[in-house]
Amino acid sequence: MTTREAVAHVRRRDGVAVIELVGDLNAAAESALDEAWTAATNTRPDAVVLSFENSGYINSTGIALVVGLLASARAHRIPIRAYGLTDHYRKIFEITRLADFMAIENDEDSAVQGIGGDKDG
Amino acid sequence: MTNGSNDDTPAGSNDDMPAAATRDAANWAKKVSRLKVSQVPEGAVNLNVDGRQLTSPIQGFGKMWQKTYVVRLPSDRVAPADLIATWRKDFGDFWPPGNHFYAPLTGIEPGDVALLNMRMPGGTKLSTGVMVLYADEESFTLMTPQGHMFAGWITFSASRQDDATVVQTQVLMRASDPIFELALMMGGHRQEDRFWSQTLGNVAAHFGHPGAAVDTKVVCVDRRRQWSRWRNVWHSSAIRSAIYMLEAPVRGVRGLTHHQRPAH
Repeated sequence: MTTREAVAHVRRRDGVAVIELVGDLNAAAESALDEAWTAATNTRPDAVVLSFENSGYINSTGIALVVGLLASARAHRIPIRAYGLTDHYRKIFEITRLADFMAIENDEDSAVQGIGGDKDG
Repeated sequence: MTNGSNDDTPAGSNDDMPAAATRDAANWAKKVSRLKVSQVPEGAVNLNVDGRQLTSPIQGFGKMWQKTYVVRLPSDRVAPADLIATWRKDFGDFWPPGNHFYAPLTGIEPGDVALLNMRMPGGTKLSTGVMVLYADEESFTLMTPQGHMFAGWITFSASRQDDATVVQTQVLMRASDPIFELALMMGGHRQEDRFWSQTLGNVAAHFGHPGAAVDTKVVCVDRRRQWSRWRNVWHSSAIRSAIYMLEAPVRGVRGLTHHQRPAH
């Protein structure tokens, strides 16, 4: 099984920081995710949106990295949302109960606008 | 799983995403609303597991910690996949004495529920369990139910780095409730560090490298306690295990009278 190195791009839209995750989310993605989180929150955003549209394989270590982001977001009271998850990974987010704390939207517009509301668990 | 980027796939391309999204389906547990223990191995106490929901590190009460324990073995001793296969098969055998992990006979597979009977200070026993959240050739992850000492998961992995097979246990957790948080502060963290260091030491010894040094790295991911979660204490496996032990004489008497009662 081959893996794709993770890259995380940060852009801003309507006061919201969008972190676009590209590649596989595993232990090797930690530094890319940390740097993206720092860049996204340097100037306090209204919310952070994680885009999984271009992400690939996510293993349990990758899920743990997302938990780390959630913890940081909660500590700084920044709402965090996600979109672009496949049905498979939506289920994984439900099993791991990340979905209790993160609004999962269908597309970027909905995620940026926070149409589904934010969750605090 | 092979590490390293695939040169055929440019960064940013999502051409192989459907394959990526489904290739690990068998590695993850199926969604369950509540845990169900299908078999209780001989000697195991099935308490505080049936009917419980899983808890991620976010559902806990205490500070969030990431604890990483690492031991390095010469790569010619064992390959990562072989090490993980053995670890999954005989997981409980590597635990320090006095603690029991009752895995299914088939070993650790995604979705399996295992019972734990742990030795606690003062000679008490704590009964709880875990579910296998994820398992592949080079890693596996256990997730805790309500009432466990901590809310979170533990990932066990092995990887090749230079000339070493690096074996790692990583715990991402919050104490489940105020009582467990207090216990962690009063020596519980040290006890847990010792537990996983001994376990990794036992794994290293099994593969012919006794006395290997285990490195420990502890990071506080979130210093805030989640006071809204204090009610988790209702499910506390410590309290319920203690009550279960205290009730043992009553159960014994009831069992005797039940056996002695003549059939009508």
